[in-house]
Amino acid sequence: MKSFFRMTYPYILWIAVFIVAPMVMILLYALTRTGNSTLTFQFTLENFARFFSDATFMRVLLTSLRIALLTTVFCLLIGYPAAFFISRLSERRQTMMVLLLTLPMWINMLLKTYAWRGILLNFDLASEFKVFIGMVYDFLPYMIIQIHTSIAKMDGNLLTAAYDLGANKWKTFLKVILPLSVPGIISGITLVFLPAVSSFVIPKLLGGGDYVLIGNLIEIYFLTAGDWNFGSAISLIMALIIIASMWLTRKLDRNAQEE
Amino acid sequence: MERKKSRWSFLSNGYLVLVLLFIYLPIFYVVLFSFNESKSLTNFTGFSLRWYENMFNDETMLQSIYTTVLTAVIATVVSTVVGTVAAIGLSKAKPLVRNLILEVNNLPVMNPDIVTAIGLMLLFISTKVQLSLTTLILAHISFCIPYVILTVMPKLRQLDDNVAEAALDLGATPVQALVKVILPQIYPAIFSGALIAFSMSFDDFVISFFTAGVGINNISMYVYSMKRYNPSVNALSTLIVVVVTLILIAANVIPRIKDKKTKKEED
Amino acid sequence: MKKLLSVLLVLCLLAPAAVLADDVLNVYNWGEYIDKQVLTNFQKEYGVKVNYSLFSSNEEMYTKLLSNASYDVIIPSDYMIERLIKENKLQPLDKGIVTDLDSLVDGVKNLPYDPDNTYSAPYLWQSVGILYDSTKIDPAVVEEKGWDIFLDSEYSGHAYMYDSERDAFMVAFKALGYSANTENADEIEAAYNWLREMDKAIHPSYVTDEVIDAMINGEKWLALVYSGDAAYIISENEDMAYCAPKQGTNVAVDAMVIPANASNPELANKFIAYILQPENSAMISEEVGYASPNADVLAELSGPGGAYEGNSAYVPRTGYEKDELFHDNETLKKQLSELWIKVKLHE
Repeated sequence: MKSFFRMTYPYILWIAVFIVAPMVMILLYALTRTGNSTLTFQFTLENFARFFSDATFMRVLLTSLRIALLTTVFCLLIGYPAAFFISRLSERRQTMMVLLLTLPMWINMLLKTYAWRGILLNFDLASEFKVFIGMVYDFLPYMIIQIHTSIAKMDGNLLTAAYDLGANKWKTFLKVILPLSVPGIISGITLVFLPAVSSFVIPKLLGGGDYVLIGNLIEIYFLTAGDWNFGSAISLIMALIIIASMWLTRKLDRNAQEE
Repeated sequence: MERKKSRWSFLSNGYLVLVLLFIYLPIFYVVLFSFNESKSLTNFTGFSLRWYENMFNDETMLQSIYTTVLTAVIATVVSTVVGTVAAIGLSKAKPLVRNLILEVNNLPVMNPDIVTAIGLMLLFISTKVQLSLTTLILAHISFCIPYVILTVMPKLRQLDDNVAEAALDLGATPVQALVKVILPQIYPAIFSGALIAFSMSFDDFVISFFTAGVGINNISMYVYSMKRYNPSVNALSTLIVVVVTLILIAANVIPRIKDKKTKKEED
Repeated sequence: MKKLLSVLLVLCLLAPAAVLADDVLNVYNWGEYIDKQVLTNFQKEYGVKVNYSLFSSNEEMYTKLLSNASYDVIIPSDYMIERLIKENKLQPLDKGIVTDLDSLVDGVKNLPYDPDNTYSAPYLWQSVGILYDSTKIDPAVVEEKGWDIFLDSEYSGHAYMYDSERDAFMVAFKALGYSANTENADEIEAAYNWLREMDKAIHPSYVTDEVIDAMINGEKWLALVYSGDAAYIISENEDMAYCAPKQGTNVAVDAMVIPANASNPELANKFIAYILQPENSAMISEEVGYASPNADVLAELSGPGGAYEGNSAYVPRTGYEKDELFHDNETLKKQLSELWIKVKLHE
């Protein structure tokens, strides 16, 4: 089987250059001071200190987490019933529905967001609400498809067995379907929450300039303020938060599966 | 009981229709306003085809479509090949090595796009690699591969190892074992991995924005840099909607027709 | 499989090279900031291909340049040109080819950022001012109050503020009687407080280019805008009027420059000369609403029968002593952008 493993060598080289090296670059910038060249490193933690000591940045971070959480919850609330109803349809209609849900995912996200901007221009709404609509819109199909896949995979016999054992519809749903769809829910949450935390295009286009999320901060520091060191530090902080929450969800997932 | 059931299905179908309406609302909106006579995004003043005409006369816009498609096609092909080969190799690796590599592989999937983008940009800039179409494509390949691996890997784990071993025992070379035994079994997973890669690349803005070079704009970058809203963009979206619909219909109808044919032949 | 892979890799390495084989001019400009017909005509006349890329801020453009990207013509703003000259990133124009500079308006040539126009030729120019709905606000009030109108809670919920730290701080600096380029800590603090007061008083929407469509639709009464956008808005909605406040404002010039590492400098000079020709400058200026640097074109477009006849925003004010250009100052910009985030977040 050694000969098979050799097939991964090019890929290992690839991840060293295109995945590991970029992360090292960000770390390097985050830990150094503005204005120094790559030859004379001056290590410092001041970029991180600056972030955590400023109430504004902490508020931006909390707002980002709040809106991402809200988006995830609403995608789940809207998406779960939808996924469940789809799974009750005939097989042909299920394919059709999944297709209808996939199609808009192929249309450029920026174009869809611009369309929402046009639609929302007709209404006088708070910017946070506009951003919220845009985010739920963008991520809902991912949630529905993930949950639907996990429900559709279920063994039909399980449900028949539950009925045979005298469980009513509600009981079957609570005791059989819901627990078995947990992996789908978790991967749905991951697919919604992670990109929602870091999104910067939707808040920028729908929220207007006074709606700043952590992704916008990074963009501002890289492109407007030109402070790459601080921008890298913010990127790193965000990446760490996301990787930590990802690790946590995966752990929960494993526990749930073991049960 | 019967009545209860029909009321139930009426409610659930109604709910699904509402969800679909929500998802298609901006798409209907874009299609409608692509035929608008005026520049307005809020008032439909009359029917016209001027934005379509504008689009086909706008070289920068056409160029951006070309760049988007070219990048997506190359990134999909390369990442599918590299990702599949790597996944097969990994599936035969020791669990410790495999998990370590998969952990690193997951980084771009978990990492916010903007972090991946900035990392790649810093890498190119500090190694004095000129940003260009090549760097754009390399960046796309590198964020597409993990998705291919993630889709192909689970399917590989379901495979019976003994089949490949049997093939080797019977004198097949590893390449033969790969092509004749393993690939046919994981073909659907490879296909869906390629689809995901294509749509990720086709839709990407953030990573392209930070890694593309001189004169290289994809559709997203074009839309983002508009100083004033150019309604030709609506025409462009409509065009994409039509093409994607046709492709998806074809992808779903052709296999079904084939199925029917083979069934008939079997009969 | 490997063969296929290597063929593909070679293909993508060759792709950019194939483009370079032709006579190609790489132009890097703001989005929606040209009449496309001018590009088409240039390509036909010179038998070349123009590779046209877009940026949405000077800083974005600068980031791209840092990556050694090789453009032939870039069109940044004044203060950014100042930085590029300082950092030796530009090459002098060939004055044998670019000859039309004498016919330009006094206000846009030989400016401090490039005293003899050695490196840059003006493309379009503008000032910053107040766009207002004259059916809702009396012009006399706007003239009278100038920038201080943004502190008047009477207009609460009816105003747009442009989301750019330097423009917003310029308004505050000028309202307080300071220089737009001040580095004085007390003055910066005072301006910061002025902007926070503004945020509380009128609760503006912070926007960038959306302001154009929104004001054409008459969504709000008051907006901070660039004169070029104002001219365009007024040409679409006659209720709107423009005022350059008497406290002074920022005048900005976007000019064409050739980077030191341009691969086709000769063609770049020809392109710049072509854009400077009155008929081409007129086409561009008419399409986007920003002022042409050419005196005859300005007179023609704002004169009888011109596209911007009677348009108060089209010709920016010149020769007014309180008007200023921005100077390049990276530290100031960083400082202002951090304060600006706080203003927007209502701290």
